Amino acid sequence: MIGAVGTKMLLAADSGPRLPGVSDFLPPEILFQGTPFAINRIIFIRIVATVLLLIILGVTAARAKLIPGHWQGLVELGMDFVRDNVVYETMGQLRGKRYVPMITTLFFTIFFFNLFGVIPGANMAATATVTMPLVFAIWVLVQYWIAATREKGLWNYIRDECFTPGVPWPVYILLAPIQFLELVIIRPASLTIRLFANMISGHLTVATCLAFAQFWMIESANKLVGVPVGAAWFLGGIMMTLFETFVAFLQAYVFSILATVYINLSYPEAE
Amino acid sequence: MTFAASKGVSLFIPEVYDIVWSLIILVVVAVFFYKFFMPKFNAIFDERAEKIEGNIAKAEKAKNDADEAKKKYEDQLNHARVDASKITDNARSEATKIISDAHTRADKEAEQITANAQRSITSQQQQAMVSLKSQVGELATALAGKILGSELQDTDVQSDMLDNMIGDLDKKTGNGQ
Repeated sequence: MIGAVGTKMLLAADSGPRLPGVSDFLPPEILFQGTPFAINRIIFIRIVATVLLLIILGVTAARAKLIPGHWQGLVELGMDFVRDNVVYETMGQLRGKRYVPMITTLFFTIFFFNLFGVIPGANMAATATVTMPLVFAIWVLVQYWIAATREKGLWNYIRDECFTPGVPWPVYILLAPIQFLELVIIRPASLTIRLFANMISGHLTVATCLAFAQFWMIESANKLVGVPVGAAWFLGGIMMTLFETFVAFLQAYVFSILATVYINLSYPEAE
Repeated sequence: MTFAASKGVSLFIPEVYDIVWSLIILVVVAVFFYKFFMPKFNAIFDERAEKIEGNIAKAEKAKNDADEAKKKYEDQLNHARVDASKITDNARSEATKIISDAHTRADKEAEQITANAQRSITSQQQQAMVSLKSQVGELATALAGKILGSELQDTDVQSDMLDNMIGDLDKKTGNGQ
């Protein structure tokens, strides 16, 4: 918000860095305008990302050998990480087996989509509209409700969660609605907003650093001050790019592990 | 300011086309992972595990076979050792027996030989004695004839000599017996 206002003021003066703003995330439709299949810049990036993901992993899987090469080893490392460190460690092998494909899909897709935030030319994560993370989160919501219905029965699940046994009854007045909201809104919303907001802030930080670097080094009249300051901003831009690469992984990991935890909470305590 | 604020809120309001595309992408990606990527890699993982387990089983079997063969050979070796010692013992006792038999036989033979020799010596001695007696008789008669031939002219001498001779002969034969 402030960024957008700042940009307007500076643009009015016609001498300032082209700072990123909220409008970066609301780009105009460029194809099929006005239809349900309209495509804007972020959706275009998302489609490209999907195609690339399918090609890269498809070729990897098609050429997969018994003795893996370097690239296949790296992909398998990711798969082992999701299976062992995310799914099996949270819910055990017996329950977890069913959810390995789902969590692997989530992890690889979110990680790859997030990476587009630092890929030159895109500079915008494919997960950087609220809808993509929301769709992922709703998939998780559906899965943990299905698991609850199958394992405990729908009514038992709601009763256990909202009227947790061992709590004095007046507390339920407060606890029950909160717990119910948690089940239907707070969990998916937190998954969505965490991922989405991380991608927005990542884009804003990197783009701000680079905009200031551009402004100070090239557009500034005073080169003596401008070049060192601009270089410092550029260095910051590089650092933030590396940091965003890490965040791309971290957010994919956090999303996957929370999805696993939510599904596991639908299962009864005792095995 | 109100324009920016409304824009900020609109970040959180999904567009219809965004929902459509996100759902399409989710389905495409999920189908890809569920139907192709995961099964493909699971097959690889299973094959790998199977191969490793198969190799372990094979190694186990080879080890068992080797152990069995080793045990068999050791048994055979032990048997052979026992047999060999048995055979040696037998041979040794046999040899002792043979030697002792030979000893007894040799002793017996030696005794027999000695006895035979003794006997033949005795018989030869007797033969010698017998032949000697007869020869001595003849010799004596011949000698007596000669002596008698010259001396018999004297009757006294003649009778004396005959008496003496007979007495001597008697004495000799008596001693000889």
